[in-house]
Amino acid sequence: MENSDVVIGARHVSKRFGHVHALRDASVTVPAGAVVALVGDNGAGKSTLIKTLLGINKPDAGEVIIGGESVQLSSVRDAQSRGVDAVHQDLALAPELSVVDNMFLGHEDVVGPGFLRRRRMAERADAAVRELGIQLPSLTVPVRELSGGQRQAVAVAKAVMWSRTAVLMDEPTAALGARQSEIIADLMRTVAAKGLGVLVISHDLPRILKVADTVTVLWRGETVLEAPAADLTVPDLVATMVGYRAEEAS
Amino acid sequence: MTSTSTPKALPVDDRAQRPQHPLVTWLRTRATWILLLDIALILIFGLLSRNNVYLSSANAESVLLSMSQILLLALGLAMMLGAGIFDLSLGANLVLSSVVGALVMRSFQTDPGVQSSYHDIPVAMLAGFLACVATGVAFGLVNGLLIAVGNINSLIATLGTLGIGTGIALLVTSGSDVAALPTQLQVWIGLNTVGVFPIPAIVALVVAVLLWVVVRYTRFGLRTQAIGSDRGATERAGIRVRGQLVSLTVLGGGLAGIAGFIDLARFGSTALGGHANDALGAVTAAVIGGTLLEGGRISITGAVWGAGLAVILQTGLVIVGVSSFWQLIVVGGVLLAAVLLDRAAAVRRNRTARRE
Repeated sequence: MENSDVVIGARHVSKRFGHVHALRDASVTVPAGAVVALVGDNGAGKSTLIKTLLGINKPDAGEVIIGGESVQLSSVRDAQSRGVDAVHQDLALAPELSVVDNMFLGHEDVVGPGFLRRRRMAERADAAVRELGIQLPSLTVPVRELSGGQRQAVAVAKAVMWSRTAVLMDEPTAALGARQSEIIADLMRTVAAKGLGVLVISHDLPRILKVADTVTVLWRGETVLEAPAADLTVPDLVATMVGYRAEEAS
Repeated sequence: MTSTSTPKALPVDDRAQRPQHPLVTWLRTRATWILLLDIALILIFGLLSRNNVYLSSANAESVLLSMSQILLLALGLAMMLGAGIFDLSLGANLVLSSVVGALVMRSFQTDPGVQSSYHDIPVAMLAGFLACVATGVAFGLVNGLLIAVGNINSLIATLGTLGIGTGIALLVTSGSDVAALPTQLQVWIGLNTVGVFPIPAIVALVVAVLLWVVVRYTRFGLRTQAIGSDRGATERAGIRVRGQLVSLTVLGGGLAGIAGFIDLARFGSTALGGHANDALGAVTAAVIGGTLLEGGRISITGAVWGAGLAVILQTGLVIVGVSSFWQLIVVGGVLLAAVLLDRAAAVRRNRTARRE
């Protein structure tokens, strides 16, 4: 695939933390409008790769591609300014703040010396939430009072509202029940349908095979498989994740 | 189960609370209960006091004057607590600021030590005021750098500066209060009133109104509470948390500096030994009013009513002839009751959340 088709991706990235070789030769490619699943055993380097794409880690070698261009990211702000946002494993929401305040934290709509334009913020948050088909009882209640699935949906809506190119999700359904996981999975397709790239880390293999367009498998910091989800089965994936087998390298 | 790729409407999840009528919300707010408690106490003391003297304007003045300093400290502390900073050094800051301010004013004496020998009194007072505020700000800046840049727990950092600040104030003054300040300080400011409102109380209430606006309507207030609610999430939202923390300690320090100047204006001298418990009084006022000790929620109106509660009890018990030592017990009891009610609400919430 040409760089120009890639909304976010990595090419042959390696990263060391002291003696730990977290990434050796990791690549992933997310085209616009696609959901790409990043799977691998614990310690395979999934989170390290996501953090590299977000500018939290700097790669020792290899390149990061955003919006078709090879880029050097120096901070999260840097990635955000290129239209990339993330849903973190622990959600990164402030529980005492309202849904609206959380969605605008760091992007507040202000006038003069910092007065919040609350009405406009509320309208925009409402529109963003509706566009994704998320239903919440209210956008003014503290996030602490929402259920786990609702919080996850708020985190996704926040990331989508501020991303123009791609949304990265680290284990978005790890803490959720079956019904809520289903809702979030549907949400990924809705986000991709908006033309954004979605890169998702997940351990929920049956569900991710249904949701994703392609699957990238990391094994000890190395990309060992990139294949359409339709061609894969759960046993295939498990075998690839736990031990890289040469015949699947092609 | 098959997943559809284009959901039109996700199931409504109605377990979270629906928004309530604003009046219901207001009545459920802690600040409201404390206000009602304040009003009830004022009425009770009014009925019990001889000739209802507790309801006189003279007593109102005295209550307002007494609460002005603790309110300034409580307001600064509420802002800091909002971001999860605890400041034990506020009383020491107040004392040190008042000492520096007093010494600056004394430098305007032509005849050292003679109270009637001040020249350029308005200028001397302005210089004294600025010195108080500057000292308070510098004290807050040191706290902020220790906490935000040095990554020291705020309780420990301010425990350290509490000792250092108190020690410097005592060293500079050799342990005796700086007195013989211009009498105009008391006449014009400290004991002067506009209607029933003493000037120091007006200052404190104006600060309260400004901070109320900041907390409710500005980005600064939003970010402050975001830090206290979840610092990691705030950092990942791209906010410069350290800078925000330093601004908050500088704000709290500046308010302690103003409270130091009010000390000079009320008493005409420093009060080296009179503020050892001020920081704890400020915490009590802020937390009784509904500001969360753990951060994330600031209640400015609550701090006002909370500061009022302590003073109303103190003066009321004296007027009705009950030992004012009871004030300590009652304020302590209200503090515990308020926090216990918070805990009970949190437990209820967790139970609801676990039912998912």
